[in-house]
Amino acid sequence: MDLSLSDDQRQILEAIDGLSKPFASVPLHDTSFALSSDALDAELGEGGFLDVMAMEELGPVTAALVVERLARLPFAVEAGASALVRPLLDPELPRPVCLVEEGPMQQPVRFLRPGTTVVVVSDDVRSFTAEAEHVAGLGSEVLFAYPMARLIGLPPTMRTHEVDAGTVRMHWRIALAAEAAGLLAAALASTVTYVSERKQFGRPLATFQALRHRLAEAQVLTNGCYWLALKAAGTLDPGDAALAALHAQDAAKRVTYDFHQFLGGMGMTLEHPLHLWTYRLKALTAELGGRGEQALAAAEAHWS
Amino acid sequence: MDFEWSDDQRAFADQLRAFLAANLPENWEELAGHGPASAEITELSKRFCAALAREGLLFPHWPVEYGGQGLGPWEQQILAEEMWVAGEPRGGQYMNVNWIGPTLLKYGSEEQRAKYLPPITEGRALWCQGFSEPDAGSDLASLRTRATRDGDVYRVNGQKIWTSYAGLADTCFLLTRTSDDRKRGITILLVPMDTPGITVRQIPSLIGEGDIHEVFFDDVVVPVEARLGEEGQAWEIIAYSLRNERLGIPRFRLARAALDRAVAMLKERRAFAREAVRTEAARCAAACEAARIASYAIVQKRVDGLPIGGESSSARYATVMAERTVADFVVEYVPEALADASPYLKMHHQRGIVAGIAAGAAEIQLNIIASEVLELPREPR
Ligand SMILES: Cc1cc2nc3c(=O)[nH]c(=O)nc-3n(C[C@H](O)[C@H](O)[C@H](O)COP(=O)(O)OP(=O)(O)OC[C@H]3O[C@@H](n4cnc5c(N)ncnc54)[C@H](O)[C@@H]3O)c2cc1C
Repeated sequence: MDLSLSDDQRQILEAIDGLSKPFASVPLHDTSFALSSDALDAELGEGGFLDVMAMEELGPVTAALVVERLARLPFAVEAGASALVRPLLDPELPRPVCLVEEGPMQQPVRFLRPGTTVVVVSDDVRSFTAEAEHVAGLGSEVLFAYPMARLIGLPPTMRTHEVDAGTVRMHWRIALAAEAAGLLAAALASTVTYVSERKQFGRPLATFQALRHRLAEAQVLTNGCYWLALKAAGTLDPGDAALAALHAQDAAKRVTYDFHQFLGGMGMTLEHPLHLWTYRLKALTAELGGRGEQALAAAEAHWS
Repeated sequence: MDFEWSDDQRAFADQLRAFLAANLPENWEELAGHGPASAEITELSKRFCAALAREGLLFPHWPVEYGGQGLGPWEQQILAEEMWVAGEPRGGQYMNVNWIGPTLLKYGSEEQRAKYLPPITEGRALWCQGFSEPDAGSDLASLRTRATRDGDVYRVNGQKIWTSYAGLADTCFLLTRTSDDRKRGITILLVPMDTPGITVRQIPSLIGEGDIHEVFFDDVVVPVEARLGEEGQAWEIIAYSLRNERLGIPRFRLARAALDRAVAMLKERRAFAREAVRTEAARCAAACEAARIASYAIVQKRVDGLPIGGESSSARYATVMAERTVADFVVEYVPEALADASPYLKMHHQRGIVAGIAAGAAEIQLNIIASEVLELPREPR
């Protein structure tokens, strides 16, 4: 048992913090519903941060750490699929990578646009490069804080990958859990800052125990999600991955309304960045079939 | 990072399990339902702990110069888990080896050590912890049991409550007030429970008979030599004593074991196919696992020699949630377990309710997380 970060891992996280510094705060009064940056995306790709999983001394835990850290930024970057799933298929697949389950079309897909790699997971795993004809925009009133589009069709032929679909789903769950852990941490930190500064009744809101306790509970959940995600990345056990994704989707449901609530009217504005993390969390709860599917997968893995 | 036990750690856990299997009676699981402080378990614990001592497993985490083996934090964790998941056959003696002994080693006079350590290391001592009072629970520093100096003795007057093991204990680790200074006016006395003037009354409880008591002190005469450390040093000493106890009991382990038993019972009557049941079971497993790794993150800090702050409260709160989620699952889907179908699940259920109260209530943990982890501005006093 060893739960401390290696020197390499520490350095990688520091490097990410360094290069993402220009992207760590939101341009004030300029918050669109979703926020992303091609410049940040390119820097991360070039820096090799999304390729750490395949490096022996780094591996999936480091990839999960990278995903978790990047998710804390107000700018959305496609990291989870690239860092934790792409290496299983083909490390050269062009980014961003979108993961979809075969089934009903029309679902909103994160980071989808013409040119992205779409990985279709069913009994097998196939991929293709999205063309304009496969993608439909979502209109302007989208209530998700990721760039998203609908997948409206699949090409007649796709590339089949020699990889077990169960393994891909497991890595997807780990990616989801790690990303959710980072989003939870950032949303919590943002809320904590606000209630510590905002005064009512002559004192900071954060001195009222009703808020303190709910925030403390959110901390407990966030911490749990962080560790479950890292553990799943460490063991690569399908049961651990399902538990991590389940806990993450559960936690997302439990905390997001509280966080907005504690900001009062400010929690309704696009001027405050909170929604960037909470509305991403909401989007993640829909992935991989939602909480019920993770729970059933976990039960299957633990007690079949 | 490595989330698996090493070969040595696995071997240590195996050794403990083999020892438990060889040294617990057939009807142990039923016995365990009597509660850790019952006469049955106290009686058994004396034989069991003596055997543990002979095997070098009673206090292997103590420093070598005091007869231990200097086992590290992970092995201590394994020891605590294997005992708790087995139903804690050490009874009240877990306190002796976890903190009372080590505290005596550090702060005890030569006389005190000579008197109290051999019974502890031979596995035959039973202590009780006289901290809480009717008006001093979470706010422990407001305790009022008075120790008044009278020549070579203290005269102790007052009342303790919720004192586990008091009915059968030989010695009390007693917190008394010797001056009005809130924290620096508290003094530790080591008091034989058969001292005249001490009355113990058992409180009927949900966790088995003999567990909690009121203890009354009526002009109890205690020689000055029975004082541990200096007058007013209690707060500093108990901070030391409990510093390795901040994680509390590894309840997530028993909770997970209880969950697995419940699932096995459900499978037996072919009721585990229902999606609702499987979904809830998975949620329980996630809560147990989250508590486990959050706790291990604290153990890692001990291994690395890092200071441990409010994050241990986060792990404890996660543990409380795991206990409750599993207990609720059992009541909802395997209610027969709380009748006679499973002594083990019954034991889990009885003990689980304590998780959020004893040794720092759940809300106190949340207060600590808010102040020390989230660093929110303090509540007004
Ligand atoms: C099974 C069992 C065994 C025990 N064994 C021992 C023992 O051997 N020796 C011993 O000394 N003690 C023992 N205790 C006592 C235990 O330490 C206390 O019960 C505990 O400290 C809580 O104190 P209390 O019961 O007075 O509750 P209170 O302090 O009255 O608390 C009641 C409720 O109010 C909440 N609360 C209190 N203060 C605050 C606050 N500031 N903010 C928000 N909420 C608050 C608490 O969290 C709790 O939910 C035992 C308790 C139990 C249940």
